[in-house]
Amino acid sequence: MISIRERGKIGVGLFILSEANFFLLLIVAYVYYHAYPGQGPTAANALNVSRTAAFSVALFASSATIFMASRAARHGDNGGLIAWLAITIALGTLFIFGQVKEYYDLIEGGVGVSRNLFATTFFTLTGFHGLHVIIGLIALGITFALALAGKLHASTRDGFGAVEWYWHFVDVVWVVVFSVVYLWSAAS
Amino acid sequence: MDRIPVLAPVSPQAHALSALLIAVFFVLLAIFLLVTGLVTFMIIRYRDRPGAPEARQIFGWNTLEVIWTLIPIGILAIFSVFMISADRAADPLVPPGRIPDLQVVGHQWWWEINYRASGVVAANEIHIPVGKPILIDLRSADVVHDFWAPRLGRKIDAVPGHPNMLWIEADQPGTYMGECAEFCGVEHTWMRFRVIAQNRGDFDAWQRTQLATPLSPTAPDAIAGAKLFTDKTCVNCHAIAGTVANQTVGPDLSHIASRVMLAGEAAQNTPDELFRWLKQPDVIKPQSHMPNFKLTDDEARELVAYLEGLK
Amino acid sequence: MSEMVEAGVAPAIVVPEREGLLRWITSVDHKEIGILYIISAMAFFLIGGLEALVIRLQLLAPNFHIVSPETFDQMFTMHGTTMIFLFVMPMLTGFSTYVVPLMIGARDMAFPRLNAMSFWLQLFGGIILYFSFVAGGASSAGWFAYTPLSEKAYSSLPGVDFWILGLACIGIGTLAGAINFAVTIICLRVEGLTIRRLPLFVWMTLVNSFLMIFALPLINAALAMLLIDRFFNAHVFDPAGGGSAILWQHYFWSFGHPEVYIMILPAFGIISEVIPVFSRKPIYGYEFVAASSVAIAFLSFTVWAHHMFAVGMSHVANLAFGIASMTIAVPTGIKIFNWTATMYGGRIRFTTAMMFATAFLITFTIGGLSGISFAIFPLDWQLTDTYYLVAHFHYVLFGGSVFGIFAGFYYWFPKISGRLLSERVGKWQFWLTFIGFNLTFFVQHILGLAGMPRRVFTYPDLPGWHAMNAISSIGAFMLGFAVLLFVWMIFEALSNGEIAGDNPWEAWTLEWATTSPPPPENFERVPPVHGRRPLWDLAHPERADELVARS
Repeated sequence: MISIRERGKIGVGLFILSEANFFLLLIVAYVYYHAYPGQGPTAANALNVSRTAAFSVALFASSATIFMASRAARHGDNGGLIAWLAITIALGTLFIFGQVKEYYDLIEGGVGVSRNLFATTFFTLTGFHGLHVIIGLIALGITFALALAGKLHASTRDGFGAVEWYWHFVDVVWVVVFSVVYLWSAAS
Repeated sequence: MDRIPVLAPVSPQAHALSALLIAVFFVLLAIFLLVTGLVTFMIIRYRDRPGAPEARQIFGWNTLEVIWTLIPIGILAIFSVFMISADRAADPLVPPGRIPDLQVVGHQWWWEINYRASGVVAANEIHIPVGKPILIDLRSADVVHDFWAPRLGRKIDAVPGHPNMLWIEADQPGTYMGECAEFCGVEHTWMRFRVIAQNRGDFDAWQRTQLATPLSPTAPDAIAGAKLFTDKTCVNCHAIAGTVANQTVGPDLSHIASRVMLAGEAAQNTPDELFRWLKQPDVIKPQSHMPNFKLTDDEARELVAYLEGLK
Repeated sequence: MSEMVEAGVAPAIVVPEREGLLRWITSVDHKEIGILYIISAMAFFLIGGLEALVIRLQLLAPNFHIVSPETFDQMFTMHGTTMIFLFVMPMLTGFSTYVVPLMIGARDMAFPRLNAMSFWLQLFGGIILYFSFVAGGASSAGWFAYTPLSEKAYSSLPGVDFWILGLACIGIGTLAGAINFAVTIICLRVEGLTIRRLPLFVWMTLVNSFLMIFALPLINAALAMLLIDRFFNAHVFDPAGGGSAILWQHYFWSFGHPEVYIMILPAFGIISEVIPVFSRKPIYGYEFVAASSVAIAFLSFTVWAHHMFAVGMSHVANLAFGIASMTIAVPTGIKIFNWTATMYGGRIRFTTAMMFATAFLITFTIGGLSGISFAIFPLDWQLTDTYYLVAHFHYVLFGGSVFGIFAGFYYWFPKISGRLLSERVGKWQFWLTFIGFNLTFFVQHILGLAGMPRRVFTYPDLPGWHAMNAISSIGAFMLGFAVLLFVWMIFEALSNGEIAGDNPWEAWTLEWATTSPPPPENFERVPPVHGRRPLWDLAHPERADELVARS
C-alpha cells in the first residue's frame, strides 16, 4: 500500500494525467486546423520562433532550479531552498512576460483570437498553458512564503513535492506545445 | 406493416436494413428470454423459505466464465459479418463519375430540392420515378439536419461544410413519409417532407408542369394577390418563375399549389389553411422565419387566390 | 484471535464543534458531505422529473399546446443535463463519499477539504445552470449542444453560456472528487485490505475515478473552445467561419461515451454488494466482475463515434467503431451472468433492495441488448434519433443506474440514518416504479420503429402515435407518483422508522462493523481483515473465505 504521506504527490499525479488529456484535445484542434488553414496568418508568417525559444529556455531552466530547491529541502538547507525557489519563480515570471509580449505584438499586428482558426487555436492552446503556468507561480509563491516563514519541513514535504511535480508537468506540456506550434507547424 | 416504416421497405437499401433488423431482433430476443428465464428460475428456486438449505458458499468456476465469454464473442462475430454485408447493401458505393440526381439542402426548417438534370426546384415534396436509384447530394444551409425517409433508405445528416451522398429508391408508386432526424432548433418538429414515387408517365407529367412557367393570374383576386406578393416584400425571400421574384431564402413557390402540405407539414395545402398560415405563421410554426405581415383578411384572401393558382 | 486494528490512518484535521446550518456548510466530514450530495441529488431528481412530466404532458396527444416549442426545447435540454450531471452522478458520488471510507476502514477521505469543495462546486454549478431560466431562458440546444446550433448565430441568448459555465463548475468538482477517491482507496485502506479483497463497490468507485480523470478533461476542452467561439467570435466548431461541426461531435462524444459508463459503474458496484448479501453467499466470479470493469473502462474510450454513425463518416470508421461497440458488450454480459449465478444455490431474501437489484438485471439487459442493435451500425441508420433511442438510453440509465440507486438507497439508508425504510411501503414503491417505468419506456421502442423522431414538441396524427404516446405519458405520471411516495417514505422513516442497529442485513463488509449511523471517527475498532467478507470470517472462523478458497 502506498503511504498516506505521499497522498499529495499521488493526487497531483492523477491531476496531471487529467490535464494532459485536456491539453491533448487543444493540441488536436491546433493540428487539425493547421491542415485546413483557410486564409490569414499562419504559424509560419505570424510567429517569432527564436524569441519564443529564448523565453522557453527560462521555463525549461526553472525545472532544473525547482529540482535544486527540492534537493535543498531534502538536505534541510532552508536558505538554499528559499534561493532556488526565488530563482524558479523569477524564471517562470520571465516566461510569462515573454508570452504577454508575444500576445501583445500579435494582437497589435491584427492577429487576435478571432482572426482565423490558426489564431484561435494558437491563443487557446498557449493561453491555457500560460494559465497553468500562472497557477503554478501562485503555488510556488505560497511555497516560497511558507519557506520564508520556516514552515516548510518534513510534514509539508508532500505538498512541496506535489507542487514540484505540477511545475515539471507544466514544463513538459510546453516542450510539446513549443515543438508542435513553433517548430513543426511554423516550418510546414 | 406500414405502421412500422422500417419494416415496410420499398427499396433494396431499406430491404437490407429491414431483413437485418428482423434477424438481429430474434437473436436479441433469444438472449433476453435466456437471461430473464435464468433470473426468474433463480428467484423462485432459491428463495428463502422455512426449511430451505443454507446458501452454498461458492466463489465461481473459471470454465463457466470462459464459456460465457466466448459464446457472446461468437454471436457478435456473426453480427459483424451481417454488419459488413448490410453496409454494402444499404449504403452502396457511388460509382466514380456518377452525378447526383438531386441536390437537397436542409434549411431551418424546410427542405430545398434541386433536380440537377431538369432544373426543377421544389420544396419539402420530392417526386421520383419508380424503380430508379436516386442519388442525393445532401447539404445544409445552416445547422446540422438529417434526411430520413425510412421506407426508402437510411438516414444521414445534412452537415454544413460536409456534403453527404445518399441513395433513395422506391420500387412501387406511393407517398412515403420523411422527416428531419437531427434536432435543428425550435421548429425541428415541422421539418417533415414526403417522397412521392410515380410511374414514369406520371413523373414525366409532373416534371412538365414543374418546368412550365406559371400562367399570369386572370381573376381579379389573384391579380391583386400577385401585386401584394411584391408590395408585401414576399419577393425578398421567395421565387416564382416568370416573375421578378427570384430569391432563395425561403421555399420556391412557383408551383406551390401542386403540393400536398405546407410549412414542413405543419399545415395542409388547402385555401383555408394557407389563409391561416399567411395570417398567423407565428401561431402555426412559432419562430419560423416566415414573418407575420399583419395582413388584413382581404389581403390574405387575395394572396391565397394568387398562390393557389400556381399549379 | 482478536487482532483488532486502529481505525484507518487519516489526516489529522481538528474539526471545531458547530451546530445547525453552519455545521453542515463548513463540514469536511465525509459522512456529512455524503448526505449533502444525496439530498442535493434528490432535489435535482425531483426538478428533472418535473421537466420530464412537462415533456410527457405536452406529448400526450398530437398538437397539444401545453408549452411553447422553445420552452419544450429548454425542458428536454435541462431534463437531460440535470438527470446526468445533477442527479445520477452526484447521487452515486454521495453513496461513494459516505460508504467508501467506511468500507476500507478509514476515518475519512484523503483530502477532506477538497471533498467539501467538490460538493459545493457541484451545487454551485447547478445553481448557475438553473439561473439561466431567469436570465433569458435556459439552453435549448439539447444536452449535447451540437454546433453550429449552439453557436451564437443560432443560440444568441445566454442560456448556452450558463450551460457551459455550470457544467465547467460541476466538472471541476467532479474531477477533484475523482482524484480524492482514487488517493483514498490507494492510500487509506486498513491493514489486511489488499486490492484483491476490495469490496466491489469500492473497486467500481476506483475504476470510475480513473474514468473521470481521463474523460472529464475532454469535455472541459470542448466547452472551453465553445465558450471562446461564443464570447470571442471564433469559429472552432462553426462551419460558417471555416470550423468543423463534426469536430465538436467527436470532442463531445469522446467524453460523452465514457460518461455513460461513469454513470453505470457505481450502480454495478451497488448491485455487486446487494445481490450477494441478500442471496446469503459471496459474489460469483469476483475476479471476473472486477476485471471486466477495467476492460469496460478501457474500451469506453474507443467507441465514441457510435453516436455519430449517421453523420457520414467513412465505411472504415463506421466498421471500426461498430466492432468496438459490440466488443464492449462482452464484459458487460459477463457481469450479468455472474450476478445471476450469485443467486444460484442461495437463500434469497426479497427485501426492496434485492427487488430493485433483480429488476435491474432484466431492465439493464433490455437496455444493453437494444444497445447492440445500435452497434450494428446499418441498423443505427434506421434507429438513431428516434424514440427507440430514447427507450434504449432510459432502459440503461433508469432501468440501470436509477434502479441501482434505489437498491443502494434501501441498502444503506439504515446505516446512514439509523432507521429502516418501511419494507411494506417499499414494496409498493418498487412495483409502482417498475410498472411505471416499463409503461413509460417500453412502448417507446415501438414508437421509434414507427418513425417518431426524438426532440419533437408534437407529432402528426399518424397511426398509433397518439395511443403509444398516451401510454408513455400515463406511465410517466405513475413514475412521478412513485417518486413522491419514495420521498414521503424517507421522511416517514426519519421520524418513525424502525431502529436499524449495526447490521440489519447481516452483511459482511466493514461499514456494517460500526454503529448506525457511525460515530464521527467511524470505528471504535476495525475488525481484522483476512478476506473479502471480514464479518463473515469473524462469524465463521472455521469457514473463512480464504480458508475455503485455498482448500
